Amino acid sequence: MNHRGGFALIKSTWLSWLQYRSFFFVLAFGWMIPPLVAMFVWLAASGQDGIQGIHRSEFVAYYLVLILVNQITYSQANWTLGDVIREGLLNNWLLRPISPVYQVLSSEFAGKFVYLVFTVPLTILLGLVLRPKIDISFLQLSFFLLSLILAWGLRFVWGYWLALLAFWFTRADALLALQDSLVFIFSGMIAPVSLLPGFLQDIATFLPFRYMVGFPVEIFTNQLTLAEIGLGLLIQSIWLIIALILCSWLWKNGLRRYSAIGG
Amino acid sequence: MNEKIIDVQNLSKTYRVPQRDPGIKAALNQFVSAKFQDVVAVNHVSFEVTAGEIVALIGPNGAGKTTTLKVLTGLLQPTGGSIMVAGHTPGKREHAFLRVISMVLGNKSQMLWDIPALDTFHVLGEIYQIEKIEVKQRIEELSLMLEMEDILKKPVRNLSLGERMKCELVASLLHRPQVLFLDEPTLGLDISIQNRLRSFIIQYNQRYQATIMLTSHYMADIERLCSRVLLIHHGELIYDGALNKLSEQLSNSKLIRVTVSEPLADIDAKEWSSFGAEILEQNHQNFTLRVEKTQAPACTAMLLNRYVVVDLVVENPPLEAVIDRIYQEGAV
Repeated sequence: MNHRGGFALIKSTWLSWLQYRSFFFVLAFGWMIPPLVAMFVWLAASGQDGIQGIHRSEFVAYYLVLILVNQITYSQANWTLGDVIREGLLNNWLLRPISPVYQVLSSEFAGKFVYLVFTVPLTILLGLVLRPKIDISFLQLSFFLLSLILAWGLRFVWGYWLALLAFWFTRADALLALQDSLVFIFSGMIAPVSLLPGFLQDIATFLPFRYMVGFPVEIFTNQLTLAEIGLGLLIQSIWLIIALILCSWLWKNGLRRYSAIGG
Repeated sequence: MNEKIIDVQNLSKTYRVPQRDPGIKAALNQFVSAKFQDVVAVNHVSFEVTAGEIVALIGPNGAGKTTTLKVLTGLLQPTGGSIMVAGHTPGKREHAFLRVISMVLGNKSQMLWDIPALDTFHVLGEIYQIEKIEVKQRIEELSLMLEMEDILKKPVRNLSLGERMKCELVASLLHRPQVLFLDEPTLGLDISIQNRLRSFIIQYNQRYQATIMLTSHYMADIERLCSRVLLIHHGELIYDGALNKLSEQLSNSKLIRVTVSEPLADIDAKEWSSFGAEILEQNHQNFTLRVEKTQAPACTAMLLNRYVVVDLVVENPPLEAVIDRIYQEGAV
Protein backbone atom coordinates (compact mmCIF):
# COMPACT_ATOMS: atom_id res chain seq x y z
CA MET A 1 0.00 0.00 0.00
CA ASN A 2 1.33 3.38 -0.95
CA HIS A 3 -1.07 5.90 0.59
CA ARG A 4 1.41 8.74 0.35
CA GLY A 5 1.56 8.41 -3.41
CA GLY A 6 -2.22 7.96 -3.52
CA PHE A 7 -2.89 11.27 -1.79
CA ALA A 8 -0.46 13.03 -4.10
CA LEU A 9 -2.31 11.56 -7.11
CA ILE A 10 -5.65 12.79 -5.80
CA LYS A 11 -4.22 16.26 -5.33
CA SER A 12 -2.70 16.40 -8.80
CA THR A 13 -5.84 15.06 -10.50
CA TRP A 14 -7.81 17.66 -8.62
CA LEU A 15 -5.45 20.37 -9.87
CA SER A 16 -5.87 19.10 -13.43
CA TRP A 17 -9.61 19.09 -13.15
CA LEU A 18 -9.92 22.54 -11.73
CA GLN A 19 -8.65 23.66 -15.13
CA TYR A 20 -11.88 22.33 -16.57
CA ARG A 21 -14.37 23.11 -13.83
CA SER A 22 -16.96 24.54 -16.19
CA PHE A 23 -16.91 21.31 -18.21
CA PHE A 24 -17.57 19.30 -15.06
CA PHE A 25 -20.29 21.70 -13.96
CA VAL A 26 -22.07 21.06 -17.25
CA LEU A 27 -21.71 17.30 -16.73
CA ALA A 28 -23.03 17.55 -13.19
CA PHE A 29 -25.96 19.62 -14.41
CA GLY A 30 -26.71 16.93 -17.01
CA TRP A 31 -26.84 14.28 -14.29
CA MET A 32 -29.35 16.32 -12.30
CA ILE A 33 -31.82 16.55 -15.15
CA PRO A 34 -33.42 13.03 -15.18
CA PRO A 35 -34.29 13.03 -11.44
CA LEU A 36 -35.51 16.63 -11.70
CA VAL A 37 -37.80 15.73 -14.60
CA ALA A 38 -39.07 12.69 -12.69
CA MET A 39 -39.71 14.88 -9.66
CA PHE A 40 -41.79 17.41 -11.58
CA VAL A 41 -43.81 14.61 -13.23
CA TRP A 42 -44.60 13.09 -9.83
CA LEU A 43 -45.41 16.48 -8.36
CA ALA A 44 -47.91 17.09 -11.14
CA ALA A 45 -49.37 13.60 -10.80
CA SER A 46 -49.71 13.64 -7.03
CA GLY A 47 -51.81 16.84 -6.90
CA GLN A 48 -53.15 17.71 -3.43
CA ASP A 49 -53.90 14.19 -2.19
CA GLY A 50 -50.61 12.50 -2.92
CA ILE A 51 -50.05 9.01 -4.37
CA GLN A 52 -50.06 5.93 -2.15
CA GLY A 53 -49.58 8.09 0.90
CA ILE A 54 -46.64 10.06 -0.50
CA HIS A 55 -47.32 13.75 -0.55
CA ARG A 56 -45.93 16.66 -2.47
CA SER A 57 -43.35 17.76 0.09
CA GLU A 58 -42.25 14.16 0.52
CA PHE A 59 -41.67 13.79 -3.21
CA VAL A 60 -39.58 16.94 -3.12
CA ALA A 61 -37.54 15.64 -0.18
CA TYR A 62 -37.10 12.25 -1.88
CA TYR A 63 -35.83 13.71 -5.13
CA LEU A 64 -33.62 16.40 -3.68
CA VAL A 65 -31.87 13.85 -1.49
CA LEU A 66 -31.72 11.52 -4.49
CA ILE A 67 -29.98 14.17 -6.58
CA LEU A 68 -27.28 14.48 -3.91
CA VAL A 69 -26.94 10.73 -3.37
CA ASN A 70 -26.81 10.16 -7.13
CA GLN A 71 -24.03 12.72 -7.42
CA ILE A 72 -22.06 11.33 -4.49
CA THR A 73 -22.28 7.73 -5.67
CA TYR A 74 -21.93 8.33 -9.42
CA SER A 75 -18.55 6.99 -10.39
CA GLN A 76 -17.30 8.58 -13.57
CA ALA A 77 -13.76 7.30 -13.05
CA ASN A 78 -14.73 3.98 -14.57
CA TRP A 79 -15.51 5.61 -17.89
CA THR A 80 -11.88 6.56 -18.37
CA LEU A 81 -10.43 3.24 -17.21
CA GLY A 82 -11.54 1.55 -20.43
CA ASP A 83 -9.74 4.19 -22.51
CA VAL A 84 -6.61 3.79 -20.44
CA ILE A 85 -6.57 0.06 -21.10
CA ARG A 86 -7.45 0.39 -24.79
CA GLU A 87 -4.94 3.10 -25.59
CA GLY A 88 -2.02 1.48 -23.80
CA LEU A 89 -1.71 4.25 -21.20
CA LEU A 90 -1.94 1.49 -18.63
CA ASN A 91 1.79 0.95 -19.28
CA ASN A 92 2.57 4.19 -17.47
CA TRP A 93 0.53 3.02 -14.49
CA LEU A 94 2.12 -0.41 -14.43
CA LEU A 95 5.65 1.02 -14.36
CA ARG A 96 5.04 2.83 -11.06
CA PRO A 97 5.41 1.29 -7.62
CA ILE A 98 1.80 2.08 -6.75
CA SER A 99 -1.36 0.07 -7.30
CA PRO A 100 -3.32 1.25 -10.37
CA VAL A 101 -6.44 1.35 -8.18
CA TYR A 102 -5.07 4.59 -6.75
CA GLN A 103 -5.10 6.14 -10.21
CA VAL A 104 -8.80 5.39 -10.58
CA LEU A 105 -9.60 6.37 -7.01
CA SER A 106 -7.76 9.64 -7.45
CA SER A 107 -9.95 10.71 -10.35
CA GLU A 108 -12.97 9.44 -8.41
CA PHE A 109 -12.26 11.60 -5.37
CA ALA A 110 -11.09 14.57 -7.37
CA GLY A 111 -14.30 14.35 -9.38
CA LYS A 112 -16.51 14.09 -6.29
CA PHE A 113 -15.15 17.34 -5.00
CA VAL A 114 -15.53 19.29 -8.23
CA TYR A 115 -19.08 18.02 -8.84
CA LEU A 116 -20.31 18.63 -5.31
CA VAL A 117 -19.09 22.21 -5.38
CA PHE A 118 -21.71 22.65 -8.07
CA THR A 119 -24.48 20.30 -6.99
CA VAL A 120 -24.75 21.06 -3.26
CA PRO A 121 -25.51 24.80 -3.53
CA LEU A 122 -27.92 24.18 -6.39
CA THR A 123 -29.81 21.54 -4.40
CA ILE A 124 -30.01 23.81 -1.35
CA LEU A 125 -31.39 26.54 -3.57
CA LEU A 126 -34.03 24.15 -4.95
CA GLY A 127 -34.84 23.13 -1.37
CA LEU A 128 -35.46 26.74 -0.37
CA VAL A 129 -37.89 27.16 -3.25
CA LEU A 130 -39.69 23.79 -3.12
CA ARG A 131 -39.75 23.24 0.66
CA PRO A 132 -39.20 19.53 1.20
CA LYS A 133 -40.46 17.69 4.28
CA ILE A 134 -37.50 16.36 6.23
CA ASP A 135 -37.96 14.56 9.51
CA ILE A 136 -35.10 12.29 10.43
CA SER A 137 -33.94 10.68 13.67
CA PHE A 138 -30.33 10.25 14.69
CA LEU A 139 -30.58 6.48 14.20
CA GLN A 140 -31.94 6.91 10.67
CA LEU A 141 -29.23 9.40 9.88
CA SER A 142 -26.58 6.89 11.00
CA PHE A 143 -28.13 4.16 8.85
CA PHE A 144 -28.35 6.61 5.98
CA LEU A 145 -24.65 7.46 6.19
CA LEU A 146 -23.68 3.80 6.42
CA SER A 147 -25.82 2.85 3.43
CA LEU A 148 -24.53 5.88 1.51
CA ILE A 149 -20.93 4.76 1.91
CA LEU A 150 -21.86 1.21 0.89
CA ALA A 151 -23.85 2.60 -2.06
CA TRP A 152 -20.85 4.54 -3.29
CA GLY A 153 -18.60 1.51 -2.81
CA LEU A 154 -21.05 -0.73 -4.67
CA ARG A 155 -21.56 1.66 -7.58
CA PHE A 156 -17.82 2.28 -7.89
CA VAL A 157 -16.76 -1.37 -7.72
CA TRP A 158 -19.62 -2.45 -9.96
CA GLY A 159 -18.56 0.04 -12.62
CA TYR A 160 -14.95 -0.98 -12.11
CA TRP A 161 -15.53 -4.60 -13.03
CA LEU A 162 -17.56 -3.57 -16.05
CA ALA A 163 -14.72 -1.26 -17.12
CA LEU A 164 -12.18 -4.06 -16.67
CA LEU A 165 -13.94 -5.97 -19.43
CA ALA A 166 -12.01 -3.59 -21.72
CA PHE A 167 -9.17 -6.11 -21.39
CA TRP A 168 -11.27 -8.42 -23.58
CA PHE A 169 -13.70 -6.22 -25.49
CA THR A 170 -12.79 -3.01 -27.23
CA ARG A 171 -15.96 -1.10 -26.39
CA ALA A 172 -16.72 -2.27 -22.88
CA ASP A 173 -17.95 1.23 -22.03
CA ALA A 174 -21.22 0.35 -23.77
CA LEU A 175 -21.90 -1.79 -20.69
CA LEU A 176 -21.42 1.28 -18.49
CA ALA A 177 -24.10 3.06 -20.52
CA LEU A 178 -26.34 0.01 -20.03
CA GLN A 179 -25.66 0.15 -16.31
CA ASP A 180 -26.72 3.80 -16.25
CA SER A 181 -30.01 2.87 -17.89
CA LEU A 182 -30.64 0.04 -15.42
CA VAL A 183 -29.85 2.40 -12.56
CA PHE A 184 -32.36 4.88 -13.98
CA ILE A 185 -35.12 2.27 -14.00
CA PHE A 186 -34.38 0.14 -10.93
CA SER A 187 -32.62 2.47 -8.52
CA GLY A 188 -35.61 4.58 -7.66
CA MET A 189 -34.73 7.40 -10.00
CA ILE A 190 -37.66 7.14 -12.42
CA ALA A 191 -39.95 6.53 -9.44
CA PRO A 192 -39.48 5.57 -5.80
CA VAL A 193 -39.18 1.77 -5.76
CA SER A 194 -42.34 1.50 -3.63
CA LEU A 195 -44.33 3.03 -6.49
CA LEU A 196 -43.07 0.60 -9.14
CA PRO A 197 -45.49 -2.13 -10.35
CA GLY A 198 -45.36 -5.25 -8.17
CA PHE A 199 -43.09 -7.46 -10.29
CA LEU A 200 -40.64 -4.62 -10.95
CA GLN A 201 -40.53 -3.94 -7.23
CA ASP A 202 -39.55 -7.57 -6.55
CA ILE A 203 -36.85 -7.43 -9.21
CA ALA A 204 -35.54 -4.11 -7.89
CA THR A 205 -35.28 -5.50 -4.37
CA PHE A 206 -32.83 -8.18 -5.42
CA LEU A 207 -30.87 -6.46 -8.20
CA PRO A 208 -27.90 -4.33 -7.10
CA PHE A 209 -29.10 -1.05 -8.66
CA ARG A 210 -31.51 0.07 -5.93
CA TYR A 211 -28.62 -0.21 -3.47
CA MET A 212 -26.55 2.23 -5.49
CA VAL A 213 -28.97 5.19 -5.16
CA GLY A 214 -32.54 4.60 -4.00
CA PHE A 215 -31.92 2.62 -0.82
CA PRO A 216 -30.14 5.34 1.20
CA VAL A 217 -32.72 7.88 -0.01
CA GLU A 218 -35.54 5.64 1.23
CA ILE A 219 -33.86 5.48 4.64
CA PHE A 220 -33.44 9.23 4.74
CA THR A 221 -37.05 9.91 3.78
CA ASN A 222 -38.41 7.52 6.39
CA GLN A 223 -39.95 4.96 4.01
CA LEU A 224 -38.45 1.83 5.57
CA THR A 225 -38.96 -0.16 8.77
CA LEU A 226 -35.96 -1.22 10.81
CA ALA A 227 -36.28 -4.78 9.49
CA GLU A 228 -36.34 -3.51 5.91
CA ILE A 229 -33.26 -1.41 6.57
CA GLY A 230 -31.45 -4.45 8.01
CA LEU A 231 -32.36 -6.63 5.02
CA GLY A 232 -31.35 -3.85 2.64
CA LEU A 233 -27.94 -3.40 4.23
CA LEU A 234 -27.41 -7.16 4.01
CA ILE A 235 -28.29 -7.32 0.30
CA GLN A 236 -26.16 -4.22 -0.32
CA SER A 237 -23.16 -5.82 1.39
CA ILE A 238 -23.58 -9.10 -0.48
CA TRP A 239 -23.60 -7.31 -3.86
CA LEU A 240 -20.56 -5.31 -2.81
CA ILE A 241 -18.66 -8.49 -1.94
CA ILE A 242 -19.70 -10.12 -5.24
CA ALA A 243 -18.52 -7.05 -7.15
CA LEU A 244 -15.20 -7.03 -5.26
CA ILE A 245 -14.60 -10.70 -6.07
CA LEU A 246 -15.43 -10.09 -9.75
CA CYS A 247 -13.07 -7.12 -9.79
CA SER A 248 -10.08 -8.90 -8.36
CA TRP A 249 -10.63 -11.90 -10.64
CA LEU A 250 -11.02 -9.75 -13.74
CA TRP A 251 -8.03 -7.59 -12.83
CA LYS A 252 -5.75 -10.57 -12.31
CA ASN A 253 -6.81 -12.32 -15.48
CA GLY A 254 -7.09 -9.16 -17.49
CA LEU A 255 -3.59 -8.15 -16.59
CA ARG A 256 -2.33 -11.59 -17.50
CA ARG A 257 -3.98 -11.23 -20.89
CA TYR A 258 -2.68 -7.67 -21.31
CA SER A 259 0.87 -8.72 -20.57
CA ALA A 260 0.53 -11.66 -22.92
CA ILE A 261 -0.72 -9.73 -25.94
CA GLY A 262 1.01 -6.44 -25.25
CA GLY A 263 -0.39 -2.99 -24.61
CA MET B 1 31.48 -2.26 -10.48
CA ASN B 2 31.48 -5.10 -12.99
CA GLU B 3 28.39 -6.81 -11.75
CA LYS B 4 25.81 -8.17 -14.13
CA ILE B 5 22.68 -6.04 -13.91
CA ILE B 6 20.68 -7.49 -16.77
CA ASP B 7 20.79 -11.19 -17.48
CA VAL B 8 18.65 -12.54 -20.29
CA GLN B 9 18.80 -16.23 -21.17
CA ASN B 10 16.83 -17.73 -24.04
CA LEU B 11 14.14 -15.07 -23.98
CA SER B 12 11.24 -15.90 -26.26
CA LYS B 13 7.98 -14.09 -26.76
CA THR B 14 5.17 -15.34 -28.94
CA TYR B 15 2.00 -13.33 -29.51
CA ARG B 16 -1.33 -14.87 -30.37
CA VAL B 17 -2.86 -12.61 -32.97
CA PRO B 18 -6.51 -12.99 -34.03
CA GLN B 19 -6.90 -13.63 -37.75
CA ARG B 20 -9.88 -13.28 -40.00
CA ASP B 21 -10.79 -12.88 -43.63
CA PRO B 22 -12.28 -9.60 -44.83
CA GLY B 23 -16.05 -9.15 -44.91
CA ILE B 24 -19.01 -9.18 -42.58
CA LYS B 25 -19.54 -12.93 -42.69
CA ALA B 26 -16.00 -13.56 -41.54
CA ALA B 27 -16.39 -10.94 -38.82
CA LEU B 28 -19.47 -12.74 -37.48
CA ASN B 29 -17.72 -16.09 -37.73
CA GLN B 30 -15.04 -14.68 -35.48
CA PHE B 31 -17.53 -14.81 -32.58
CA VAL B 32 -18.16 -18.52 -33.07
CA SER B 33 -14.75 -19.85 -33.88
CA ALA B 34 -11.94 -17.35 -33.45
CA LYS B 35 -8.78 -18.18 -35.38
CA PHE B 36 -5.40 -17.22 -34.04
CA GLN B 37 -1.98 -17.18 -35.48
CA ASP B 38 1.15 -17.43 -33.38
CA VAL B 39 3.61 -14.68 -34.14
CA VAL B 40 7.12 -15.10 -32.80
CA ALA B 41 8.33 -11.64 -31.79
CA VAL B 42 11.49 -12.62 -29.93
CA ASN B 43 13.19 -15.96 -30.40
CA HIS B 44 15.76 -17.39 -27.96
CA VAL B 45 17.61 -14.17 -27.31
CA SER B 46 20.40 -14.20 -24.72
CA PHE B 47 22.60 -11.36 -23.53
CA GLU B 48 24.03 -9.80 -20.42
CA VAL B 49 24.57 -6.18 -19.50
CA THR B 50 27.10 -4.96 -16.96
CA ALA B 51 26.18 -2.20 -14.52
CA GLY B 52 26.98 1.23 -15.94
CA GLU B 53 26.94 0.21 -19.59
CA ILE B 54 24.99 2.06 -22.28
CA VAL B 55 23.67 -0.47 -24.74
CA ALA B 56 21.64 0.09 -27.89
CA LEU B 57 19.04 -2.29 -29.15
CA ILE B 58 18.75 -1.82 -32.90
CA GLY B 59 16.88 -3.48 -35.69
CA PRO B 60 14.21 -2.68 -38.30
CA ASN B 61 10.62 -1.89 -37.34
CA GLY B 62 8.90 -4.96 -35.97
CA ALA B 63 12.16 -6.73 -35.19
CA GLY B 64 11.27 -7.22 -31.53
CA LYS B 65 13.09 -4.31 -29.87
CA THR B 66 10.15 -2.80 -28.02
CA THR B 67 8.90 -6.26 -27.10
CA THR B 68 12.28 -6.99 -25.53
CA LEU B 69 12.21 -3.72 -23.58
CA LYS B 70 8.67 -4.39 -22.40
CA VAL B 71 9.65 -7.83 -21.16
CA LEU B 72 12.65 -6.34 -19.34
CA THR B 73 10.40 -3.80 -17.60
CA GLY B 74 7.75 -6.35 -16.66
CA LEU B 75 5.04 -4.97 -18.95
CA LEU B 76 5.02 -8.20 -20.93
CA GLN B 77 5.36 -11.76 -19.72
CA PRO B 78 7.92 -13.78 -21.64
CA THR B 79 6.78 -17.00 -23.29
CA GLY B 80 10.07 -18.65 -22.42
CA GLY B 81 13.51 -18.08 -20.97
CA SER B 82 14.75 -16.48 -17.79
CA ILE B 83 15.25 -12.78 -17.17
CA MET B 84 16.82 -11.00 -14.23
CA VAL B 85 17.02 -7.22 -14.00
CA ALA B 86 18.71 -5.64 -10.99
CA GLY B 87 18.21 -8.87 -9.06
CA HIS B 88 14.48 -9.14 -9.77
CA THR B 89 12.26 -11.08 -12.13
CA PRO B 90 10.54 -8.26 -14.03
CA GLY B 91 7.32 -10.17 -14.74
CA LYS B 92 6.46 -10.20 -11.02
CA ARG B 93 6.31 -6.40 -11.04
CA GLU B 94 7.37 -6.13 -7.40
CA HIS B 95 7.46 -2.59 -6.10
CA ALA B 96 11.07 -3.11 -5.07
CA PHE B 97 11.83 -3.75 -8.74
CA LEU B 98 9.76 -0.86 -10.08
CA ARG B 99 11.61 1.50 -7.74
CA VAL B 100 14.99 0.78 -9.35
CA ILE B 101 14.01 0.93 -13.02
CA SER B 102 12.48 3.50 -15.31
CA MET B 103 11.22 3.56 -18.83
CA VAL B 104 10.67 6.38 -21.29
CA LEU B 105 8.40 5.58 -24.20
CA GLY B 106 9.14 8.13 -26.93
CA ASN B 107 5.57 8.07 -28.18
CA LYS B 108 3.61 7.81 -24.90
CA SER B 109 3.75 10.56 -22.34
CA GLN B 110 3.78 9.99 -18.61
CA MET B 111 3.26 13.68 -17.84
CA LEU B 112 -0.05 15.02 -16.57
CA TRP B 113 -1.23 17.10 -19.47
CA ASP B 114 -3.03 20.03 -17.91
CA ILE B 115 -0.77 21.01 -15.06
CA PRO B 116 2.82 22.29 -14.92
CA ALA B 117 5.60 19.71 -15.15
CA LEU B 118 6.69 20.67 -11.65
CA ASP B 119 3.41 19.30 -10.24
CA THR B 120 3.90 15.95 -11.98
CA PHE B 121 7.45 15.76 -10.61
CA HIS B 122 6.24 16.31 -7.06
CA VAL B 123 3.55 13.65 -7.43
CA LEU B 124 6.22 11.22 -8.64
CA GLY B 125 8.37 12.17 -5.66
CA GLU B 126 5.48 11.15 -3.41
CA ILE B 127 4.83 7.92 -5.32
CA TYR B 128 8.48 6.93 -4.96
CA GLN B 129 8.42 8.21 -1.37
CA ILE B 130 11.39 10.52 -1.68
CA GLU B 131 11.97 13.26 0.90
CA LYS B 132 10.45 16.56 -0.26
CA ILE B 133 13.74 18.47 0.03
CA GLU B 134 15.51 15.74 -1.88
CA VAL B 135 12.90 15.90 -4.67
CA LYS B 136 13.44 19.64 -4.96
CA GLN B 137 17.19 19.22 -5.19
CA ARG B 138 16.93 16.52 -7.82
CA ILE B 139 14.52 18.56 -9.94
CA GLU B 140 16.92 21.50 -9.76
CA GLU B 141 19.90 19.37 -10.65
CA LEU B 142 18.25 17.62 -13.59
CA SER B 143 16.63 20.75 -15.00
CA LEU B 144 19.97 22.51 -14.82
CA MET B 145 21.62 19.69 -16.73
CA LEU B 146 18.88 19.82 -19.37
CA GLU B 147 18.66 23.64 -19.44
CA MET B 148 14.93 23.66 -18.86
CA GLU B 149 14.38 25.75 -15.71
CA ASP B 150 12.13 28.15 -17.61
CA ILE B 151 9.58 25.55 -18.69
CA LEU B 152 8.93 23.89 -15.33
CA LYS B 153 5.96 26.09 -14.48
CA LYS B 154 4.13 25.90 -17.80
CA PRO B 155 1.29 23.43 -18.34
CA VAL B 156 2.71 20.44 -20.19
CA ARG B 157 0.21 20.75 -23.05
CA ASN B 158 1.77 24.13 -23.94
CA LEU B 159 5.27 22.69 -24.33
CA SER B 160 6.99 21.72 -27.57
CA LEU B 161 7.89 18.13 -28.32
CA GLY B 162 11.52 18.69 -27.34
CA GLU B 163 10.60 20.39 -24.08
CA ARG B 164 8.21 17.57 -23.30
CA MET B 165 10.91 14.97 -23.87
CA LYS B 166 13.12 16.81 -21.39
CA CYS B 167 10.27 16.59 -18.89
CA GLU B 168 9.89 12.87 -19.59
CA LEU B 169 13.55 12.36 -18.79
CA VAL B 170 13.35 14.26 -15.51
CA ALA B 171 10.18 12.37 -14.58
CA SER B 172 11.85 9.06 -15.19
CA LEU B 173 15.07 9.91 -13.35
CA LEU B 174 13.74 11.53 -10.16
CA HIS B 175 13.95 8.26 -8.25
CA ARG B 176 17.51 7.61 -9.50
CA PRO B 177 16.81 4.30 -11.22
CA GLN B 178 19.69 1.85 -11.55
CA VAL B 179 18.45 0.81 -14.96
CA LEU B 180 16.91 3.19 -17.47
CA PHE B 181 15.11 1.98 -20.58
CA LEU B 182 14.66 4.49 -23.39
CA ASP B 183 12.41 3.57 -26.29
CA GLU B 184 13.24 5.94 -29.15
CA PRO B 185 13.96 8.94 -26.94
CA THR B 186 14.92 11.24 -29.82
CA LEU B 187 11.94 10.44 -32.06
CA GLY B 188 10.85 13.55 -33.93
CA LEU B 189 13.25 15.96 -32.23
CA ASP B 190 15.40 18.53 -33.97
CA ILE B 191 19.17 18.14 -34.25
CA SER B 192 20.16 20.49 -31.45
CA ILE B 193 17.74 18.97 -28.95
CA GLN B 194 18.92 15.51 -30.00
CA ASN B 195 22.48 16.61 -29.23
CA ARG B 196 21.45 18.14 -25.91
CA LEU B 197 19.69 14.94 -24.88
CA ARG B 198 22.63 12.81 -25.93
CA SER B 199 25.12 14.75 -23.87
CA PHE B 200 22.70 14.69 -20.97
CA ILE B 201 22.39 10.91 -21.15
CA ILE B 202 26.18 10.53 -21.17
CA GLN B 203 26.58 12.99 -18.32
CA TYR B 204 23.91 11.26 -16.27
CA ASN B 205 25.39 7.84 -16.94
CA GLN B 206 28.81 9.00 -15.78
CA ARG B 207 27.53 10.80 -12.71
CA TYR B 208 25.34 8.00 -11.38
CA GLN B 209 26.69 4.89 -13.10
CA ALA B 210 23.17 4.17 -14.29
CA THR B 211 22.80 1.35 -16.77
CA ILE B 212 21.01 2.53 -19.88
CA MET B 213 19.40 0.48 -22.59
CA LEU B 214 17.92 2.29 -25.55
CA THR B 215 16.36 1.70 -28.90
CA SER B 216 16.70 4.18 -31.72
CA HIS B 217 16.64 4.43 -35.46
CA TYR B 218 19.12 7.29 -35.45
CA MET B 219 22.65 6.00 -35.93
CA ALA B 220 23.93 9.28 -34.49
CA ASP B 221 22.32 8.38 -31.15
CA ILE B 222 24.06 5.06 -31.14
CA GLU B 223 27.46 6.22 -32.37
CA ARG B 224 27.52 8.91 -29.75
CA LEU B 225 26.09 7.03 -26.78
CA CYS B 226 26.65 3.34 -26.97
CA SER B 227 29.76 1.31 -26.49
CA ARG B 228 27.83 -1.72 -27.56
CA VAL B 229 24.95 -2.62 -29.83
CA LEU B 230 22.58 -5.56 -29.87
CA LEU B 231 21.14 -6.08 -33.32
CA ILE B 232 17.81 -7.85 -33.46
CA HIS B 233 16.26 -9.05 -36.67
CA HIS B 234 13.09 -11.11 -37.00
CA GLY B 235 13.24 -11.65 -33.26
CA GLU B 236 16.73 -13.08 -33.26
CA LEU B 237 19.89 -11.55 -31.90
CA ILE B 238 22.26 -11.47 -34.86
CA TYR B 239 24.99 -9.25 -33.51
CA ASP B 240 26.30 -8.29 -30.08
CA GLY B 241 29.37 -6.09 -29.91
CA ALA B 242 30.91 -2.72 -30.74
CA LEU B 243 29.29 -0.62 -33.43
CA ASN B 244 32.46 0.03 -35.46
CA LYS B 245 33.24 -3.69 -35.51
CA LEU B 246 29.78 -4.24 -36.91
CA SER B 247 30.40 -2.04 -39.92
CA GLU B 248 33.86 -3.54 -40.47
CA GLN B 249 32.56 -7.05 -40.22
CA LEU B 250 29.64 -6.33 -42.40
CA SER B 251 30.79 -4.46 -45.30
CA ASN B 252 33.05 -6.37 -47.56
CA SER B 253 33.26 -3.26 -49.73
CA LYS B 254 35.25 -0.02 -49.71
CA LEU B 255 34.37 3.31 -51.21
CA ILE B 256 37.01 5.05 -53.31
CA ARG B 257 36.48 8.78 -53.84
CA VAL B 258 38.66 10.19 -56.58
CA THR B 259 39.20 13.68 -57.93
CA VAL B 260 41.03 13.90 -61.24
CA SER B 261 42.71 16.93 -62.83
CA GLU B 262 40.59 17.14 -65.99
CA PRO B 263 36.94 16.37 -66.58
CA LEU B 264 36.59 12.95 -68.09
CA ALA B 265 34.82 12.91 -71.42
CA ASP B 266 33.79 9.30 -71.13
CA ILE B 267 34.70 6.43 -68.92
CA ASP B 268 35.48 3.01 -70.18
CA ALA B 269 33.22 0.67 -68.28
CA LYS B 270 35.45 -2.30 -68.96
CA GLU B 271 38.24 -0.88 -66.87
CA TRP B 272 36.05 -0.94 -63.76
CA SER B 273 34.31 -4.19 -64.31
CA SER B 274 37.57 -6.14 -64.26
CA PHE B 275 37.85 -5.08 -60.59
CA GLY B 276 34.20 -5.71 -59.90
CA ALA B 277 33.85 -2.02 -59.15
CA GLU B 278 30.76 0.04 -59.72
CA ILE B 279 30.36 3.80 -60.10
CA LEU B 280 28.07 5.25 -57.47
CA GLU B 281 28.41 8.95 -58.28
CA GLN B 282 30.02 10.93 -61.04
CA ASN B 283 30.26 14.68 -61.18
CA HIS B 284 32.80 16.47 -63.44
CA GLN B 285 36.19 15.65 -61.96
CA ASN B 286 34.84 13.73 -58.95
CA PHE B 287 33.60 10.21 -58.85
CA THR B 288 32.91 7.54 -56.26
CA LEU B 289 33.48 3.84 -56.78
CA ARG B 290 32.48 0.84 -54.73
CA VAL B 291 34.80 -2.15 -54.83
CA GLU B 292 35.22 -5.30 -52.84
CA LYS B 293 37.68 -4.93 -49.98
CA THR B 294 40.18 -7.33 -51.53
CA GLN B 295 40.12 -5.46 -54.82
CA ALA B 296 40.61 -2.02 -53.31
CA PRO B 297 44.46 -1.87 -53.50
CA ALA B 298 44.60 -3.07 -57.10
CA CYS B 299 41.84 -0.72 -58.15
CA THR B 300 43.52 2.21 -56.43
CA ALA B 301 46.80 1.40 -58.21
CA MET B 302 45.04 1.28 -61.54
CA LEU B 303 43.43 4.69 -60.92
CA LEU B 304 46.77 6.26 -60.02
CA ASN B 305 48.35 4.84 -63.17
CA ARG B 306 45.61 5.66 -65.56
CA TYR B 307 44.61 9.21 -64.49
CA VAL B 308 46.18 12.33 -63.12
CA VAL B 309 44.73 12.05 -59.61
CA VAL B 310 44.37 15.19 -57.50
CA ASP B 311 42.77 13.53 -54.53
CA LEU B 312 41.97 9.96 -53.55
CA VAL B 313 40.27 8.62 -50.43
CA VAL B 314 39.52 5.00 -49.54
CA GLU B 315 36.89 4.63 -46.84
CA ASN B 316 34.27 2.37 -45.27
CA PRO B 317 30.71 2.80 -46.47
CA PRO B 318 28.57 5.01 -44.19
CA LEU B 319 26.97 3.29 -41.24
CA GLU B 320 23.42 3.98 -42.42
CA ALA B 321 24.10 2.16 -45.67
CA VAL B 322 25.57 -0.80 -43.83
CA ILE B 323 22.69 -1.04 -41.41
CA ASP B 324 20.24 -0.72 -44.27
CA ARG B 325 21.84 -3.71 -45.96
CA ILE B 326 21.59 -5.86 -42.85
CA TYR B 327 17.96 -4.88 -42.37
CA GLN B 328 17.24 -5.80 -45.98
CA GLU B 329 19.19 -9.03 -46.02
CA GLY B 330 18.59 -10.08 -42.44
CA ALA B 331 22.05 -11.41 -41.70
CA VAL B 332 25.42 -10.13 -40.55
